Amino acid sequence: MQARPGTGLAPAPVRPARPLPQRVLRWLLAAVAVAGFIGCLRLADVDPVELAEGLPTMAGWIGQAFPPSTEGLSTLLVRAAETVAIAVVGTAFAVVLALPLCVLAARTTTPSGWVRLPVRLFLNGLRGVDAFVFALLFVAAVGLGPFAGVLGIALHTWGSMGKLFSESIEALPGGPLEAAELTGASRLKTSSYTLLPDVLPSISSIGLYLLEFNIRASTVLGVVGAGGIGQELKNSVDLLAFPRLATILIVILVMVTAVDQLSARLRKALA
Amino acid sequence: MTALAVRGLTHAYGGVPVLRAVDLSVSPGEVVAVVGPSGAGKTTLFRCLTQLVRADAGTLELFGTDLQQAQGKSLRLARRDLGLVFQSYNLVRRLTAMQNVLVGRLADVPAWRVLLRRFPAADEALAAACLDQVGLLPYAHTRADRLSGGQQQRVAIARVLASRARVVLADEPVASLDPASAASVLTALRSLATDHGKAVVCSLHQVDLVAGFADRVVGLRDGRVVLDVPVSQFDPAAASALYARAG
Ligand SMILES: Nc1ncnc2c1ncn2[C@@H]1O[C@H](COP(=O)(O)OP(=O)(O)OP(=O)(O)O)[C@@H](O)[C@H]1O
Ligand SMILES: [Mg+2]
Repeated sequence: MQARPGTGLAPAPVRPARPLPQRVLRWLLAAVAVAGFIGCLRLADVDPVELAEGLPTMAGWIGQAFPPSTEGLSTLLVRAAETVAIAVVGTAFAVVLALPLCVLAARTTTPSGWVRLPVRLFLNGLRGVDAFVFALLFVAAVGLGPFAGVLGIALHTWGSMGKLFSESIEALPGGPLEAAELTGASRLKTSSYTLLPDVLPSISSIGLYLLEFNIRASTVLGVVGAGGIGQELKNSVDLLAFPRLATILIVILVMVTAVDQLSARLRKALA
Repeated sequence: MTALAVRGLTHAYGGVPVLRAVDLSVSPGEVVAVVGPSGAGKTTLFRCLTQLVRADAGTLELFGTDLQQAQGKSLRLARRDLGLVFQSYNLVRRLTAMQNVLVGRLADVPAWRVLLRRFPAADEALAAACLDQVGLLPYAHTRADRLSGGQQQRVAIARVLASRARVVLADEPVASLDPASAASVLTALRSLATDHGKAVVCSLHQVDLVAGFADRVVGLRDGRVVLDVPVSQFDPAAASALYARAG
C-alpha cells in the first residue's frame, strides 16, 4: 500500500459516490426549501423599496435625537429600576414554582410516567406563551402596573425553568442515587441528598441566564401597561420625543450590558 | 445460617437469557468470589440480587425474607441489609468523603436533617469510624471528586459499612484500579467479613487476586454456575477452563 505523502499513513479510503436517487432527492429538497423561503418573504411583506424610502425619515429622527434630553432623568432611572425589579421578582417566583415540578418532570426522579407527562405538557404550555402575552392578560385581570409584569414573567419563566432544570437532573449520573436507594431510605431523602449537590451549579447558572433574559424581556412590558421603562419608551414614541427616546435607549443599553456582564461573571464563578 | 440464599435465579433481557437458574449462597463471615468471562452475567446477577432489576424467576432469600416478593416499603426495609459496591464507585462528586459515607445513614435520619445535611452526632461518629477502618479518616473533609480511584472505592466501602448492611455485594470493585489500590480495596472488603462478620460476594476479573481474598469461588459462564468450590480447589487449570473460549 502506498503511504500518503508526508503522513506515513495508509491512503484514506475514497468516499464512494452517492447513488443517483439520493442525489435527485437532495436537489428536490433544496428546491422545496428555496420555494418555501420565497413564500415566507411574500407573507412577511418584505419590500426593499419601502425600506429605502423610509430611511431618510429615520435618519432625520436620529438627527433630532441629539443631544439626548436629560430632563426627567431621575424618573427614567426609577423606571429602569422597576424593570430590574420586575425581572428579579418574576424570576424568583419562577424558581420557587419550578423546583418542585422539575423533580416530577425529570425521568430519573419522577414517581411515574403518568405524573411526568402532564407536568411536561403543562411546563411546555407555559413556555409556549410569551411573558408579554401573559402580561397583557394580567393587566386586564389585576390592573395596570408592574405587578402584572411580574406575574407574566413568572408564569412564562416557570415553564422554561422547569424544563431546563429537569433536563439538568436527567443529565446527572444515576449511580449515586442507586447507591443511596439501596440503603432503603425514602425517595425524598435519597434524591435530595445525592442529586442536589451535583445539580446545584447548573441550576444556579440556568437561573442567572433566565434572569438576564427576563431583564431584556421586561424592558418592553411597559408597552402593554405592565410597568417598567417600556411605558416611557411608548410615551416618547407616541409623542415623537426623540431626544428623550435616545436617553431611554441609552439607559436600557447600559442596564442590560451591566446585568449581562455581572451575570456572566457569576456564572463563570459557578462553573 | 445462610445470609443470602439464591435458588434458580433466571433472567432474560429482551428474550435473551442472561442468568440461567443460578444457585448461590453465602454465610456471615464468608467471602465468595464470583468469576467468569465478560458477558457471563455477573453484573446482571448483582442487579437482580439488589432488586435494581427484577429477575424473571427464582427465589432470593435475605436472612429468611424473600426479596423477590418484597415491594415498596417491605422492599425498602429488606434492602437495608444489603450493600452494593459498584465498579464506578458512584459517589456524589461534590460531597465530601464523610458526607458520602453518611449516605449509608439516610434510612435512619429524619428528612429535615437530610435536607439540611445536619446529621446526629452519633451518625457522624459512626461515619468517621467507618472512614477510619478503610484508612481514609485524614480525607474526611475532602470532596469525592478530588480523591483517587482507590480512595473513592474505599469511601464507597465505608458507605456500605456505615449502612450496617449485613450482606455486602461488590461488582468488580477493583477493575479500574492500579495493583496497590486494588490490594487496599480487597483488604478492606476481606476485613468486612473477617472482622465484622459480614457476608461478602465480590465479582472479579483478575483470577490471580482470588487466592488470599476469597473463601469460596463461584464460576459463572453464559449465565450458568459452572463452578462452586473452596478457594483451595480453584487452581490455574480450573481458571483457564472457565475462561476458555467455547467451541
Ligand atoms: N440493560 C441491559 N439490556 C440488555 N442486555 C443487557 C443489559 N445488561 C446486560 N445485558 C446483556 O447481558 C449479558 C450479561 O451482561 P453482564 O453485564 O451481566 O455481564 P458481566 O458478566 O458483568 O460482564 P463484564 O465482565 O463485562 O462486566 C451481556 O450479553 C449483555 O449484553
Ligand atoms: Mg459487569
